[in-house]
Amino acid sequence: MRWIRRKWKAADAREWTREDAMAIVLSPLAYIGLAVGVALSMLLIPSGYWILGITILVILLMHWIIDPKLKAVSEDFEKKQKQFLENLEKIERWEESE
Amino acid sequence: MTVFAPLDWIWMGALLLLMVGCGVLFYRLGKRSEADFFLAGRGLPWWLPAASVYATHTATDTPMWVTGVIYRYGFSGIWYTFFSAWCAISAFVSTRIFRRSLAYTQAEWQSLRFSGLGSELLRGWMSGWQVFMNMFIMGWVGMAMGKLCNYAFGWPLWIGLILFSSVCAIYVLAAGYWGVVMADFQQGIIAFAAIIVVSVWGVAAAGGPGAIVDKLSAMGESWRLNPFHFTGWFTGDFPVVWFLTMMFIALLGGFGMGTSIDWYSEAQRIQSARTVRDASYSIWWGTAIVIVRNSIWAVAVLGFFVLFPNITEAAEYELGWFRLGFETLPAGLLGFFFAAILAIHLSTISTHLNLGAVYATRDLYHHYINPDASQKKLIWVGRISTLILLIGSFIFGLMMKEITKWLIFALWIMAAGVWLPNILQVIWWRFNAWGYLSAWIANLGLSWVVVWILPAFGVIPELPDYLQFWALMLLTSLIYFPVTFLTRPERMDRLVKYYAMCRPIGFWGPVRKEARRLNLL
Repeated sequence: MRWIRRKWKAADAREWTREDAMAIVLSPLAYIGLAVGVALSMLLIPSGYWILGITILVILLMHWIIDPKLKAVSEDFEKKQKQFLENLEKIERWEESE
Repeated sequence: MTVFAPLDWIWMGALLLLMVGCGVLFYRLGKRSEADFFLAGRGLPWWLPAASVYATHTATDTPMWVTGVIYRYGFSGIWYTFFSAWCAISAFVSTRIFRRSLAYTQAEWQSLRFSGLGSELLRGWMSGWQVFMNMFIMGWVGMAMGKLCNYAFGWPLWIGLILFSSVCAIYVLAAGYWGVVMADFQQGIIAFAAIIVVSVWGVAAAGGPGAIVDKLSAMGESWRLNPFHFTGWFTGDFPVVWFLTMMFIALLGGFGMGTSIDWYSEAQRIQSARTVRDASYSIWWGTAIVIVRNSIWAVAVLGFFVLFPNITEAAEYELGWFRLGFETLPAGLLGFFFAAILAIHLSTISTHLNLGAVYATRDLYHHYINPDASQKKLIWVGRISTLILLIGSFIFGLMMKEITKWLIFALWIMAAGVWLPNILQVIWWRFNAWGYLSAWIANLGLSWVVVWILPAFGVIPELPDYLQFWALMLLTSLIYFPVTFLTRPERMDRLVKYYAMCRPIGFWGPVRKEARRLNLL
């Protein structure tokens, strides 16, 4: 699936892209599927198994799409976090006195 | 009344000791710094805050709430419990943005996003409101525990209210958020195990899954098995339009911050995760477990309905899941069940004790009273705030009978008129602090008018919940949009700094352009 990008450079990963949109659509579907699928499966109703099975596939697909991007976003941010934290404390006007 | 066998007391005592001990063990880590006392040093792998998200949102009153809606509406009642699904979108949008801000609290985030006097007013208001809300929630949950102990053991209400919250305070005072999150992890496991055991036991008592389906069919109640059974498009107790409104509120709310009352505790979990990725997964998976839990409960409640189909009093059928536990479990397991209820209770109380304290310490004391406070002093202020919150929750709890109606109203007004502004503050650069403040003030006034005053004078009929939501959303927008456009945008240098740090989604064109010009992207 070439239209789903799985290798990210930090600068590109910072942008909001198609992969984010896909996660935003798949994620609520997964929750709805979990709610209905688990309840019906526990009552041994066959449609529950189907819904639960499809939901698990949706969850796997969602992670497959978004995980590489989240990793890239995280790694990029980690490098800057220290500097950002210093900024935050300046805004808070906190100084270590002990 | 329930009578414990010696084995039950052993179960309960051992698990209570484990829960409190596990929290206190982290005393040394909790006292290292403000970031440790309130955010566990921002170093947690995703599964720890995820367990905390799950444990916190399993409160003593949650089984009563879930049982009530499922007993009344069948499986379609599950959508009443679906409000936590704001995390579906939030996990990949507002969670990411908030984690990048590094703000301890929502009030602090607003002081990064907005600037000037409006920002300070907002921070003061938000932190004061959150201190109050956390006390109120603990009073509410504490009183649910009081009622449960009264039902199970015949104790006066105040004993259940005060005793277990005080036990919980031991580890929150000692280890702060480290204690909260570590205790939550094992409390979450204990609670989930108990939910499965009691639910399976209850389903078996009703004759098993197949028998429940057959009995519902024989009773002419098989509509209860349909998760999409509604009472009409616009009519009846549960119309389609209410379902769609709930979906709209829950799912699109994930683009904003504060669209759900749960956001404020989740924000702390988001910030305690070690990376942006860990934050996203903690919110997503913690909520996924909440949703699975609700469905397991729903099946057990259908079993309860088959056993006791003719209960008309809500106060009676809401105790259904607890009754399954107390009335069907054998000696020995009963103590485990009660220990799980304690786990559920302690995880919620501990979260709100520490959450209220972070607003009191970080946003009120540290920001306004003593910006130069040492780390040691901040931790002590955190502990004193925790103690004040605990005592305040007892007072609220004892007043609860008289004030519940008013405070449910307060919760509702927090959701309706400021729902959209909570999203706009995240996705639209031009929305400013004055627009947000005016939305809050307008909402406070208009909600009284729409919900109480106009119906009382017969000007309009009493509106159903979904119409109240849309009316308040529309009416408040007639105030905050003009206020936003009539006041200046936030300072561009503040917005650029915020944009470079948080990379928000939505309509940020001019800010982005300026950030590019300054070579900050």
